[in-house]
Amino acid sequence: MALTAARSGSTYLQRERALKPDVILVLSFLLLAAISIVMVYTASAPRARSLGEPESAEAIKQAVFAVVGVVAFIVASVIEPRTIRLSAPSVYLASLVTLVVVQFTRVHDGAQRWIDLGPVQFQPSEAAKLAVILALAALLASETGKVLSPTRIAQALALVAIPAVLIFMQPDLGTMLVFGFFTVVMLFVAGTTGRQLGFLMFAAVGGVVVMVQTNLLQAYQVRRLTAFLDEAGSSLDAVYNQQQSEIAIGAGGLFGTGLLNGAQTNLNFVPVQASDFIFTAIGEQLGFIGASLILALYALIIWRILMIALVARSQFSQLVAVGFAAMLMFHVFVNVGMTVKVMPVTGLPLPWMSAGGTAFVVMSTGLGIVHGIWMRRSPVPGERSIL
Amino acid sequence: MADPQWRVPDVRVALVGVAIVFAWLWVGVSLYRVQVVESGQWAEYGAEQRVRSREIPAPRGTIYDRSGQAIAMSVAATDVIANPSEISDPAGVAQVLAPLLAMDVQDLETKLTGNAQYAMLTRRLDRVDALEIEKLMDDLDIRGVYFRDQPARVYPSEDFASQVVGFVQADTLEGLEGLERLYDAELAGTPGYQTDERDPYGNPILQGDSEIIPAVPGVDIRTTLDPGIQIAAQEALALAVEESSATAGWAVVLDVATGDVLAMATAPTFNLNDRTNVDRETFRNRVVTDQFEPGSTLKVLTIAAAIEEGIVTPDTEFTLPATLEIARKKYSDVGRKDERVMSVRDIVAKSSNVGTITVQQLLGNEKHWEYLNRIGLGRRTTSHIPGEVSGLLHPVKDWCDSVCGPSTGIGYRVNVTLLQMAAVFATVANDGVWIEPHVIDEEIFPDGTRTTFQPIERPVFSEETARTMRELLAGVVEGGTGRRAAVEGYRVGGKTGTTQKYLEAEGGYSDTAVVASFIGIAPIDNPRIVVAVVLDSPTGERIEGDRAVSLSYGGVSAAPVFAAIVKAAMHGLGVPPE
Repeated sequence: MALTAARSGSTYLQRERALKPDVILVLSFLLLAAISIVMVYTASAPRARSLGEPESAEAIKQAVFAVVGVVAFIVASVIEPRTIRLSAPSVYLASLVTLVVVQFTRVHDGAQRWIDLGPVQFQPSEAAKLAVILALAALLASETGKVLSPTRIAQALALVAIPAVLIFMQPDLGTMLVFGFFTVVMLFVAGTTGRQLGFLMFAAVGGVVVMVQTNLLQAYQVRRLTAFLDEAGSSLDAVYNQQQSEIAIGAGGLFGTGLLNGAQTNLNFVPVQASDFIFTAIGEQLGFIGASLILALYALIIWRILMIALVARSQFSQLVAVGFAAMLMFHVFVNVGMTVKVMPVTGLPLPWMSAGGTAFVVMSTGLGIVHGIWMRRSPVPGERSIL
Repeated sequence: MADPQWRVPDVRVALVGVAIVFAWLWVGVSLYRVQVVESGQWAEYGAEQRVRSREIPAPRGTIYDRSGQAIAMSVAATDVIANPSEISDPAGVAQVLAPLLAMDVQDLETKLTGNAQYAMLTRRLDRVDALEIEKLMDDLDIRGVYFRDQPARVYPSEDFASQVVGFVQADTLEGLEGLERLYDAELAGTPGYQTDERDPYGNPILQGDSEIIPAVPGVDIRTTLDPGIQIAAQEALALAVEESSATAGWAVVLDVATGDVLAMATAPTFNLNDRTNVDRETFRNRVVTDQFEPGSTLKVLTIAAAIEEGIVTPDTEFTLPATLEIARKKYSDVGRKDERVMSVRDIVAKSSNVGTITVQQLLGNEKHWEYLNRIGLGRRTTSHIPGEVSGLLHPVKDWCDSVCGPSTGIGYRVNVTLLQMAAVFATVANDGVWIEPHVIDEEIFPDGTRTTFQPIERPVFSEETARTMRELLAGVVEGGTGRRAAVEGYRVGGKTGTTQKYLEAEGGYSDTAVVASFIGIAPIDNPRIVVAVVLDSPTGERIEGDRAVSLSYGGVSAAPVFAAIVKAAMHGLGVPPE
């Protein structure tokens, strides 16, 4: 009976139901944001104290980012997917501009990744991830229902390649790999044939080999990527990070050492811990249980996003959701993986957890867009429209 | 229901989901491995890199004199060290620090400049001063200057028995000379360890595990040295060395009943707290390290042995020729040029060579050697005095039939240390029983228990012989060569000795240099102490009334030292004058 009622048309009640938020997704997101503030505090306060700086500075900053992120999430949820799709090209172009601008900033820790904006720094490569997903989705969705033409695939690759090369020049290898991953996933879902995918894989591997051979890849990048495979032959520096993070996570054991009780975390043995290595703070202080719960939260969010992809009303929306899920998954997998040495060290942040504003806000915006898709899903399962 | 054109993407979305499940499983299993299976190993590895161990120095034991005053002690001190790489303004820091450390500003600035990690600025600064400087550094926010507590060795009486006490290496406190060296292991104690956890910058972790194995302090050592007698001996010796221009002088005072060394002095001496520019020769405790031919003082043993063996009595008389020729070697007496009848008593009082040789020949080499050996010549008197040499006593089978016995009888062909000779006289004083001389009275352990030194005792001759010998020795002072050894208010006895110095470098006796000695007992009727004095190469003369006497004679130069020491010792020991 209820099913028939639902099919009968767009009643007020039905619209109301459609606009209801996805509680699991929203709660998981808010929970991660809250935990993030605590974790950034535990990873930064003792360090700040030993340097005589204000202890909660980093945590307060993260709290501000979280608030901005939540606002961005809400705003993005409200914007119509149609509007987003139409603005995707301009967002993409704006993103390219920032990526070019960042090439002219000062070198910081051996890389040019940040644009100073008064008290905060903007990291164009983080924003580019979302911009490229949107643009790619818009491009691929325009050829509905057919197998993608080679021309379209070439266009898609070119669209990704421009920002990827700019990012590669910063240099920021990790982000470039994210681009590759979500591009492949989006192409896959958008309807490439197996042969096309096979060819793309072959081209990608060939490209990497050529880059290594021609020294386009910086020596430290290659070293960092291979360090975890060959401990003895690698530089101390490359091994140190992973060793310390493995010690931290291992020392956490099943239940963890308790907050502010982690010798590794609170004594600064792990480098860049508030940002890239924030997961070690979780692993040490909250143990296997805590780490698993955090991973479960990410799994919940990704599960929800994939469900959203299934109920999305347009192919654009579906591709945005899938692309975002792929990016999220890649970040979490690679970031957590590097702390337990199943992945090499790359500078990918743990979404909504690592200290850092751009990533937080961009991820929140992306999640908001995906959530907006959910709120505008068809009350009729399986109903789809072109736009 | 659903439009079939969407089926392919839906399946592919599901495949993406499956990929994610696998990825999560992979990470989850890895986490489980690290956090659950290998957790203990990683925790241990982490603890290892945090744990730092620091040595806690053990306080070195104190060396006391017999009255309980410290001769050598450890005090809290602080080394001041810099890490120049942390100092941004060497000139400024040098300006502040130089006056406090009593250093030159320029020198200090040089030390503070550069990228070195370590520069020693001042060793063993007084702990209180160091704390003040440390506070000042904090107040001025000067980084890179560090303070390390290190005990320092201090000798409060500076030159008190320097050669006996010895000293330590200033940095390591390792004993280098004297008792400090001989008892180094006991004095040093066992260092403790403080183990605690540090962060990557080396700062201690407040809530970290820490373990302290306390240091075991070193053993305290109480010596037998009597402060009053030691100082009197040092002063008397210094005066005599100066008067006679001797290259050195040394003296030892023994408690005859116990073998305690009450004083052991060598002149010139040195300040134990400041050894810069001190000749290493001065470090020798010559009482035990320097051997010499004793000469006349050893005649005492020749006569005592003959009396003990019943061969002579004090009144046995001999008709002695002016010279005695044995194997073309001529022996004569000082101040006697004609044949004379002399009793054994006279022979000792006048220190007659001819008379002593006559008695020695009656005694025979075998018996003679037996006594020399039994009374401890030719071997170290004890193993408890640092640096002691054994001297030289040839085995009797190596003695020649001609001059060997006679020469030995009058104190040649035998190398002795002054301590060995003092022990010979102490045997006479102690009713014929030889007691091992020693400077260690007791060792006091950290737990308060004590071990008292038990000297070896060995009877050599009878009480009767000993008493007779003391009577003869009194005669030496009362009417013989030792008049200058007399002490007002006390009857003393002793024997002078003057021998040509044997120059090892030249392999023969010196024409001019002598070893002048006096060894005596006080009081002679109820002996308390033996005082033995040696002057190396005394020269010059002393004007006594209207005549000049040569300081080369033991009776002239060494006997007054004996008298001065006895006088002080009698007062110090509370022996009433007669």
